[in-house]
Amino acid sequence: MKVGQVAYTPWCDAAGKVLDDGTIARLDETTFRMTAAEPNLRWLQDNAQGLVVEIEDVSDALAALSLQGPAARAIVDVDLKYFRLTEAKLGGIPVTISRTGYTGDLGYEIWMQHDRALAVWDELIEAGAPYGIVPAGMLALDVARIEAGLMLIDVDYVPARKALIESQTSSPYELDLGWTVNLQKERFVGREALAAEARRTPEWQFVGIEIEWESLERLYAEVGLATRLPAAAWRTSVPIYAGAEQAGYATSGGWSPLLKKYIALAHLRAPWAAPGTQLDIEITVEHRRQRAAARVVKKPFFDPERKRA
Amino acid sequence: MSRAIVIGGHADSLAAARVLAKRHEVVVFAGNQGPGIAEGWVPRALRLDGLLLFSPEPWVAAPLPAGGRLELSSDLSRSVESIRRISPRDAVRWPEFCERMARLARFFETIYAAPPPDPLSFKFALRARALGKQGLEDLLRILPMPVAELLDDWFENDTLKGVLAGAGIAHLQQGPRSGGTAFRLLHNHVGSLPGVFRPPRSNLVELLRKGLEIHAGDVARISVQGGRVTGVVLKGGEEIEASLVVSGADPRRSLLELVEPGWLDPELARALAHVRRRGVVARVTLQLDRAPGFARMALAPSLDELERAYDDSKDGRVSQRPYLEAHCDADQRVEVHVQYVPYGADCSGLGDTVVALLSEHWGDAAADEVRVLSPRDLEEREGWPQGQAHHAELALDQALWMRPLPELARYRTPIEGLWLCGPGMHPGAGTAGAAGLNCAREILRG
Amino acid sequence: MPKYDAIIVGGGHNGLVCAAYLARAGRKVLVLERRERVGGAALTEEVFLGFRFSVFSYVVSLLRPEIIRDLELPRHGLHILPLESTLTPLPNGNYLAQWNDHDQNRRELARHSLRDAEAYDEFGHMLHQMARAIKPLLAMAPPDPTSLSPGNLMGMAKLARHFRGLGTQRFNTLTKLLTMSSADFLDEWFETEALKATKSASGIIGTLLGPRSPGTAYVLLHHYMGELDGVFRAWGFAKGGNGSVSAAIAGAARAAGAEIRCNASVANVLISGGSAKGVVLEGGEEIKADLVVSGADPRRTFMQLVGEKHLPGEFVESIRRFRFRGASAKVNLALGELPDFICLPGRGPHLRGAISISPSVAYLERAYDEAKYGGISGRPYMDIVIPSMLDPEMAPPRKHVMSIFVQYAPYHVKGGWTDARREALGDAVVDTLAEYAPNIRSAILHRQVVTPADIERIVGLAEGNIFQGELTLQQMFFLRPVPAWARYRTPLPGLYQCGAGTHPGGGVMGASGRNAALEILRA
Repeated sequence: MKVGQVAYTPWCDAAGKVLDDGTIARLDETTFRMTAAEPNLRWLQDNAQGLVVEIEDVSDALAALSLQGPAARAIVDVDLKYFRLTEAKLGGIPVTISRTGYTGDLGYEIWMQHDRALAVWDELIEAGAPYGIVPAGMLALDVARIEAGLMLIDVDYVPARKALIESQTSSPYELDLGWTVNLQKERFVGREALAAEARRTPEWQFVGIEIEWESLERLYAEVGLATRLPAAAWRTSVPIYAGAEQAGYATSGGWSPLLKKYIALAHLRAPWAAPGTQLDIEITVEHRRQRAAARVVKKPFFDPERKRA
Repeated sequence: MSRAIVIGGHADSLAAARVLAKRHEVVVFAGNQGPGIAEGWVPRALRLDGLLLFSPEPWVAAPLPAGGRLELSSDLSRSVESIRRISPRDAVRWPEFCERMARLARFFETIYAAPPPDPLSFKFALRARALGKQGLEDLLRILPMPVAELLDDWFENDTLKGVLAGAGIAHLQQGPRSGGTAFRLLHNHVGSLPGVFRPPRSNLVELLRKGLEIHAGDVARISVQGGRVTGVVLKGGEEIEASLVVSGADPRRSLLELVEPGWLDPELARALAHVRRRGVVARVTLQLDRAPGFARMALAPSLDELERAYDDSKDGRVSQRPYLEAHCDADQRVEVHVQYVPYGADCSGLGDTVVALLSEHWGDAAADEVRVLSPRDLEEREGWPQGQAHHAELALDQALWMRPLPELARYRTPIEGLWLCGPGMHPGAGTAGAAGLNCAREILRG
Repeated sequence: MPKYDAIIVGGGHNGLVCAAYLARAGRKVLVLERRERVGGAALTEEVFLGFRFSVFSYVVSLLRPEIIRDLELPRHGLHILPLESTLTPLPNGNYLAQWNDHDQNRRELARHSLRDAEAYDEFGHMLHQMARAIKPLLAMAPPDPTSLSPGNLMGMAKLARHFRGLGTQRFNTLTKLLTMSSADFLDEWFETEALKATKSASGIIGTLLGPRSPGTAYVLLHHYMGELDGVFRAWGFAKGGNGSVSAAIAGAARAAGAEIRCNASVANVLISGGSAKGVVLEGGEEIKADLVVSGADPRRTFMQLVGEKHLPGEFVESIRRFRFRGASAKVNLALGELPDFICLPGRGPHLRGAISISPSVAYLERAYDEAKYGGISGRPYMDIVIPSMLDPEMAPPRKHVMSIFVQYAPYHVKGGWTDARREALGDAVVDTLAEYAPNIRSAILHRQVVTPADIERIVGLAEGNIFQGELTLQQMFFLRPVPAWARYRTPLPGLYQCGAGTHPGGGVMGASGRNAALEILRA
């Protein structure tokens, strides 16, 4: 990795099952910053046995704000390539800015000392006022990240540490993260298991699902209702069928106001995971379990040019 | 023939080397471990021509509070006589006790002559059942018991119990009231005659050295590439290539220090780092000017005395009244096992304490050349991690199929071509050569 | 006098559970209790006017959920209030708190060690797996590995299959839990001393062993197996004190048709023609029954109620070897005000949970070392709850009761448990607590000290051992109370045993009583 480069990656246990996912940024020649969904200090320390490395947990010392959307570049006013990072100042406050984010749009994550966070927030709100900047919370972010096809720990996958049975675990291949696995590397935790799995086809795939509007409309019309759309994204496990068999299950989904589509992220058994495959997704209409037609599509659902440009 | 490198000069390394020599060109790097007396049960397959097993007679003498000594012998009736003088009741129970312990020791002997059994296998169940109803009951009850409870169940005399308990706590930072010490007594009894609760000594190391290419060099690193072993690097920098390396160094040192980091799964590395060593023994050697009147003497006046000696060590201090076992050879050289001396404890004055305690029992003899080897000294000299002669303390959770860890119990490591033998492997811990023998056989099995 | 199908000797909770299950199956059951009320060591007494104490056992967790369900205990008045925290005050004014709320707990642990905060979830996860692995064993009559009978062979095969089904990793973790010391086991997970000590403390409950003694990790697991509303490891306080547990079970037994007689002390089992035919009360009254089930501990049952001469010599030898060695005491206090802890002043949520005096493993080990040769711990281990914080009816308005479980106070104390020694124990407890909450001295209105000798005298538990026998592996499962007699039967035809001296052991579980009843019904 170059200095100033950021990478997204999962990491695995010795069995090749995903423990967590996050980013790693190279701050300088010898310093890296890692983010993760869950605490990983102990894991890193155990991995560091015998190695000359210092590990510090800065979760409480550092704060981060995410600025996402088409006007983000104008507000932040920094020339930064996709998945790169740089030092900068916002209103005189020293920050690190990375061109990363948990949405499918152009965006930046801004990192600062925790006691400057409020000041940075104020700076951004002021600088963003002419562009219509709006505070956003988890409800909005959930929809945005589903549109981006991005998974969420504990929702879309069970981290290996928490899995009670083996079938709850997932390998990177099963999470559509095969592109993050480099089997050419001489050694990393889980290498052997992943090399073996790469020689087979993974049993599961993580895909995008689009629910057919007409099918949905019909189900509601049958009981005399207009189509009800979820107000917020859901995070429950919803079965998906291929005829009489269960093909898999969706784990996150919701109505995308941006795309005007009802989308979901799902785990499907390999035979049914190809884009274009027609399936049925369970949906409860007026207390009764029904099935609506759905189609496998490639992720991300939303991927504008400006995200990478 | 391809080359095999064996690290270590103790009985297990040499036994492994000898067995591997049938199919490999074997080079042994013994470090500074030279020939010496081997202590411990020798498996049948290593009973080579010229092997001499010896056990002093009586195998232990212990001073009695009212004067005189308790002497225990390989001859049951002699022991009974000696015990009768201090407790007729205990004398009556002695033969049955010996028989029942011997039966269990024989059971362990078959287990020790092979890699660790699968405890849930039908085969193991059958073997256990072959002990008979009472034998199986004994096994299940005695395995987790404190040796103090076992001995309290059978005997009343303090000195007798103290002497026997010594076999239960040797090299363990536990007292006789701690669970798992009865197992240790049985472990110590393997290969000995009924009624003899100390392992034999032998010239096994000397015999095994014959015909082997042994170098004094110290291995500084085990080279690994692409998950396979490629050889070793000596302290001086010299590289020796081999695709098979058997390390008799303690498992933690072998895998966490000799092999460079990154080849082990972090969970295994963490588990290895937790393998308990905790050496608690110092060795005092001295030269007497005349025979002391004993071949082996134990100063273990009672179970409570041993327990108090253990209590002292919890604070990192040397026991105020340490448990001593002194062994005297034909040249009046005395070697004293001193327990509990925690690793890092201040050993100043220990030599004087030992001489003062023992001199009450060796008549007019005078002691010279008193040398104290603390656990730290033993670590440096013998390669005993934290001064632990058994490399990994012989606790129930670090025994059999879990010695030193379940993932390593069958001598193979996750690194292709790298194997482990030594006291820290099954059965190890004071046996002579069995771990090396079992390991080499597993290697040859392919 | 009509003949009964079964007489249960002793109205402790196991005897009551056994009676309830037998009665529900249509048997004619009589429970005979020596004291004026049932409950054994699970009772509530108004020791001082207005102040109600769970004199002996004082918390609930291990009571089997199947018993609560089968006997519909909530309908009979059982109401368990969860304890939501454990506070470990430290000598330097700091503290360690463990909260039921996951995130609050994590933040508090992180205050001490980030590494421990992270390990905690995995640790809980692992123990959860272990509790699940052991759970099926609790409800089974242990098979005899030395027997070649088809029933026992099948039982052993089933057991082996169960353990194999755990997978190697879990089986090995279980082996470690069965053999290690709680201190060593916890050293592999955590670095915060107070956390290790507080958790190891559950490994020494009711046992004359220290946290460094191998075998205590099992006792830790044993105490983890408690389930409340499907959550493992949850501890609670029964509304109305532990007496309400016994009362609820007795209510269920009576509702099923069982008869309970108090003030009826059984002198011995009536033996004729080589089998048990009933019992004889003190005073001579004979009551006949097809079966006699003893809820008393094995020593009292066999040495006193039956008598050596009616039993095989080897069996008597084995019973003699069965170890009790009670080491626990209780100090129950009536308080005029709540304790004010230096580390967390004022009336906070921590007072609604447990308070553990266990600042370090060395502290606990020292307490043990002082006691193992017959002394009393000068600074003992203490587990404290304030029941009136959860159930105001236990004390008068604005006043409180405090339950303190103390270790170590060995039954075989040098010089015996004289009145002076009892008071000295009480003083040591108050002195220790005062180091953390200095107002306690002036807050005490009344004090009751219960020594192991008192427990033996009042409740009838041999040597005051709260589990009716130590929970050490050599006398557990198929070895409890003695080899070959671990299936609730005894060498005397017609006599069964149902107390905690049988598998799965003690802790107000009720499992022994239930298992015994099911064995009887199966016969």
